[in-house]
Amino acid sequence: MSTGATLVVMGGLFLGLGYMGVPVAFAIMAGVLVATAFTPVSFASMIGQMFHGIDSEALLAVPFFLLVGELMSSANVVYRMIALAQTLVGHLRGGLAQVVTLFSMFFAGISGSSAADVAVLSRTVAPEMDREHYDRAFTAALIASASTMANLIPPSIMAVVYGATGFVSIGGLFLAGVVPGVMIGLGLMVYSYFFGPLGRMKPRARLIDMFVAARGSALPMVIPVIIMGGILTGWFTPTEAGMVAAAYILIVLIPALNPSHIRRLPGDFMYTGLLYSLPLTAVAGASAFGWMLAYLRGPDTVAEYISLYAGTDPRMIMLLLVLLFVIVGDFIDAVPAIIIFMPIIQKLTKVGDINPVHMGVVIITTLVFGLITPPYGLSLLVASKFVGVPFGQALVRSLPLYVVFFFTIAFTVLFPDVVLWLPKQLLPQSVGCFPNPSGSGFICPK
Amino acid sequence: MTDSFAIYRARVIQRHRHLKWKVLDPLEATLMVLCGVCIGGFTLCVGLDVLTRTVGHPWLWLQQATTAFFAWGVFIGMAAATRRHDHIYLAEITKRMRGSRRTAIETLNRLVVLGVALFMVWFGFKNAMLDLGSYRMPWLIPLTVYTGIVPISGALTALFCVEQIINGYRGGYEGPEDSELIAGEPTE
Repeated sequence: MSTGATLVVMGGLFLGLGYMGVPVAFAIMAGVLVATAFTPVSFASMIGQMFHGIDSEALLAVPFFLLVGELMSSANVVYRMIALAQTLVGHLRGGLAQVVTLFSMFFAGISGSSAADVAVLSRTVAPEMDREHYDRAFTAALIASASTMANLIPPSIMAVVYGATGFVSIGGLFLAGVVPGVMIGLGLMVYSYFFGPLGRMKPRARLIDMFVAARGSALPMVIPVIIMGGILTGWFTPTEAGMVAAAYILIVLIPALNPSHIRRLPGDFMYTGLLYSLPLTAVAGASAFGWMLAYLRGPDTVAEYISLYAGTDPRMIMLLLVLLFVIVGDFIDAVPAIIIFMPIIQKLTKVGDINPVHMGVVIITTLVFGLITPPYGLSLLVASKFVGVPFGQALVRSLPLYVVFFFTIAFTVLFPDVVLWLPKQLLPQSVGCFPNPSGSGFICPK
Repeated sequence: MTDSFAIYRARVIQRHRHLKWKVLDPLEATLMVLCGVCIGGFTLCVGLDVLTRTVGHPWLWLQQATTAFFAWGVFIGMAAATRRHDHIYLAEITKRMRGSRRTAIETLNRLVVLGVALFMVWFGFKNAMLDLGSYRMPWLIPLTVYTGIVPISGALTALFCVEQIINGYRGGYEGPEDSELIAGEPTE
């Protein structure tokens, strides 16, 4: 069988079996194993590749950022952050919708997982929105859209996976994700203000109420400082920062704010232990897929095809990649998509002489959009399930929110200087800057 | 508004009960406990690693223990998720189906998983045997300690697939939890 035909069989089997209901990790592996039969590669090496795919130091951060999110959600200490969001924006038009978005921005700084964000919001704010007669479909659409920020505002599991597989600075990706993450948040707030349901109008919170709410949520709000502070000062790697944040929740936060939850901690650990294995089994399969894709010279073919239209123009390359990943994100989960397509991304990053951190944040921003697009809009699927509304209705209400994502993606592609400003200031080496040999400061590539 | 969070956290999940043998429940519970032990283990290892490094006496073996806990956790979770139907799915089209059509597709899906699991058992075992001769620095631990979990996970996954295929073939795959995911949408 020709190389191209083998590629088509491998990809077709993965998608076909995946959409027939085979778990993603197994659908990927089935495609890879069938393709292996048409190559001189041994089956044993492909099974071995599954293990090597997860045998990475950087991926250890994934369970910690999931653990942090799960502990916060399960121990119910997030109510304090919701209360703070309520005093800050609850009086605006569409008050609870504003609260959802602002809280998601806060929570994104703690958890790296959109699923944890959806779970927390569906359990806490969604019943409140129901009581205030917000349209359930809008509630699900907003919660799903807001939850995507968890994968942009640091810490982000997608950034960890991208950094680990693409050998890109995870700290740099974390910082570069702040601008698109905040843009999505602000965009959703603006949309809710002008076009969302009115909600119940509430009086503006008094300064003393804001102060009380801020004091109440001070302990949870230390977590982003621990994570980013630890990474930026060089004290911790992202993995260690995640561990320190988890330890802080276990030793300080839960005993101080919800001591009765301590006896339920073994359950939290068991569940998170299961939870982290789910994306990582997909990573294991996807890394074998990515290896086979590279072996069959798939990246060269795609890169040549894209270069044919875009030449070496970085913006055109990124726009074509955005187009590719909008389609990919519609059908495949983001984590395996990053790993499967990493060889192609790396090739095109070189062709266009694009900053790897910039390329990473563009890809991640595009893939988070996939979390709310059909047929595989994972956040929207979960949100509609928890809120109790058919997926189709939630999808219709999320369509206008797509504009926010289109705008953010376009901005991220077209204004690299703005996106990379934060990493350049705080972690210059992460974006290719090096210390000026003749004095203070850094010299950064154009 | 449904609060379906608690049921997902149970040690033995009761969803898809009709596809499970009671005799394998202790195995599911044990795997869940092991998932907790693995994440707890590597949390502790990373914590001690930071601590011992900070005080200037790093314990180098901690990094090896961390990666072992991590890898074992992933593959144990893979097997547990198979029994609990917790894997990531692209689509669950079969939930809208009934009768023989559903039985055929659900069985086919599990046969695919079973096939991959058997590959994991056989070739994972061969790899693990080869890895007896490879060592990880600095404590020269055989790589088999890490990669040995692949065939074990494959065997457990295969066992759970067989359990589901037999029960599904006997009593059908339809269950009350089908309505959970489709949230009121009409079924076929």
